[in-house]
Amino acid sequence: MKLIERTGRTYLFLSVIISLLFGGILIFVLTKVMNSRLDEQLFYNKEVIAKRIKYDIPLTIFDEPVELNDAENRMYPNDTVIYKDTLILRAIKGEGVNEFEKYRQLKAYETLHGTRYKIVARNSLVRNQDFIWVIVLSTFIIILLLLTGLWILNTQIAKNIWKPFNTNLDRLKNFSIQDQNPIELEPSNIDEFKQLNTSIKSLTQKLQSDFNNLKEFSENASHEMQTPLAIMLSKIELLLQNPELKREQTLQLQSIYQATKRLSKLSKTLLLLAKVENQQFNVKEEISLKDLIEKQLENYEDFIINKNITVTTDLSDKTIEANSMLVDTLISNLLSNAIKHNVQDGKIEITYYRDILIFSNTGKPLQQNPENLFNRFKKASNLKDSLGLGLSIVKQICDVNNWNLSYAQEDDLHQISVFFQS
Amino acid sequence: MKILIVEDEIELLETITSYLKNEDFMCEKASTFFDAEDKLISFKYDIVILDITLPDGSGIDLLKTIKKHSPNTGVLIVSAKNSLDDKLTGLDLGADDYITKPFHLAELNSRINSLIRRRKFAGDDTIEFNEITVFPSSKTATVNGKPVELTKKEYNLLVYFITNKNKVLTKESIAEHLWGDDIEMADSYDFIYTHMGNLRKKLKKLGAPNYLQTMYGLGYKFADK
Repeated sequence: MKLIERTGRTYLFLSVIISLLFGGILIFVLTKVMNSRLDEQLFYNKEVIAKRIKYDIPLTIFDEPVELNDAENRMYPNDTVIYKDTLILRAIKGEGVNEFEKYRQLKAYETLHGTRYKIVARNSLVRNQDFIWVIVLSTFIIILLLLTGLWILNTQIAKNIWKPFNTNLDRLKNFSIQDQNPIELEPSNIDEFKQLNTSIKSLTQKLQSDFNNLKEFSENASHEMQTPLAIMLSKIELLLQNPELKREQTLQLQSIYQATKRLSKLSKTLLLLAKVENQQFNVKEEISLKDLIEKQLENYEDFIINKNITVTTDLSDKTIEANSMLVDTLISNLLSNAIKHNVQDGKIEITYYRDILIFSNTGKPLQQNPENLFNRFKKASNLKDSLGLGLSIVKQICDVNNWNLSYAQEDDLHQISVFFQS
Repeated sequence: MKILIVEDEIELLETITSYLKNEDFMCEKASTFFDAEDKLISFKYDIVILDITLPDGSGIDLLKTIKKHSPNTGVLIVSAKNSLDDKLTGLDLGADDYITKPFHLAELNSRINSLIRRRKFAGDDTIEFNEITVFPSSKTATVNGKPVELTKKEYNLLVYFITNKNKVLTKESIAEHLWGDDIEMADSYDFIYTHMGNLRKKLKKLGAPNYLQTMYGLGYKFADK
């Protein structure tokens, strides 16, 4: 539910209750006021009648005089005045009028010249009631008009006020931590939104700088590791030249050497990843994928022949514009992946047409979630020399170039596709 | 051959010097920009091994000094940065080769030798080891004057071994020399074994003794027994 709907509903609910209450009070007060006016008039009429009886002035009497019964005599002492609303059937023959009408009625008991009288005076309430209803109805109409007007005004104002907010929300949704530029926010003159903008700005700036620091750190760390590793490796190599080394010592040195080598490779790969991530390869040139793939196939010839893999290629001459070092790494990693996870006497198919490069290879079924395939250190197999970083480099290279990368498996064929046009 | 090694990491500097001295090179050391510049202006060197990142200056500036004072000196750039920009700048400014840290000493030696060959003989010399002669210009080799049929990999192996003769070469260093250091293949060592076997057979067939010794599964050594 939107904020405006939520507040709107509350307002509407409250307005209905208040106007109902107000209507009730209005009817009540108006009736009271009018009744008291009427009662005054009825009382005056009664006085006139009483005076006329007292001084024997003839009266126009509408109803036939009736005898007062004992019960009434006992119940109402002299000078009793009773006001009440009553319904009287009004029937006019021939005109088809036959309805109850509401009257205000005064009943007074008085003894005049020794005779007890009951004087009844009535006045129609119909006109008054109509009057009240007109007032109430027009009040309601005014309230309704006011509400509608307010509602429209509110929505319009809200639209304008919330516009920068919504724009900023969209920008925030599209915000990427890898953006180098700070987030641009639509200014607003509403205090709350101003505060929100300031908070978002400082938060995103902090995020970006933290992220950059982290990237820089991993790059620097990998970089700084190279020199000590170089020292270690060269010292071991030098030591290995010593002819007095015993077999046992040589083997131990070999273990140290291999572990150091592995560490060095790992840090080199992490450095490459960090550099790709930091977009340090931004010199672009025209590259022929076909030439590159053929060159790489030659480089990997030994490995392909060893597993007796059949390689078929269908490559278009179309060039792409990208960094040559990155594309070289991309192809090399895809190819080495296709060879490494292949089976004896397997197949590799490489096709490139219409901006889509597909590497298909035979291999054992994937033993992990395909979603993890491109994640770092997620090894598809337990090949001992595999670092589990090859495909994450591929992914990273595709990411920085806005290329789409996908994996599919069909029977025993693994297929990795790169879409150069995103 | 006079070589100046410019490297700010003393340990690495010592190791390189010690390895290259063993190869009968005359080595001089410089661990700072200042020291290196001083030596470069005062003496002439055949080869300079140049680390790009120095504490008190950039190796790129030293490269400019070298090119100004003795344009015939071969320059091999060493960098911990695996960055293409450095490589391109270096090569543009007249460096002859580029090697990334960490590297194998044997690989460094091999690069220096090929650099010397290119510089001194414009590639038109031969590498000799007893009855084996290698012709780098045509990438061929002979044993006792008879040509050996070598594949590209076998040829590369042979040159690598002869330039690093009497040295233990690890499988890792051989693999990287043959396939580049990006390769990450579990079975690459098996191929070395295959290539070694073939090379050994081909050399033996033409009458060369078995110079290739296996070192406890660690690597190989090419030596006259």
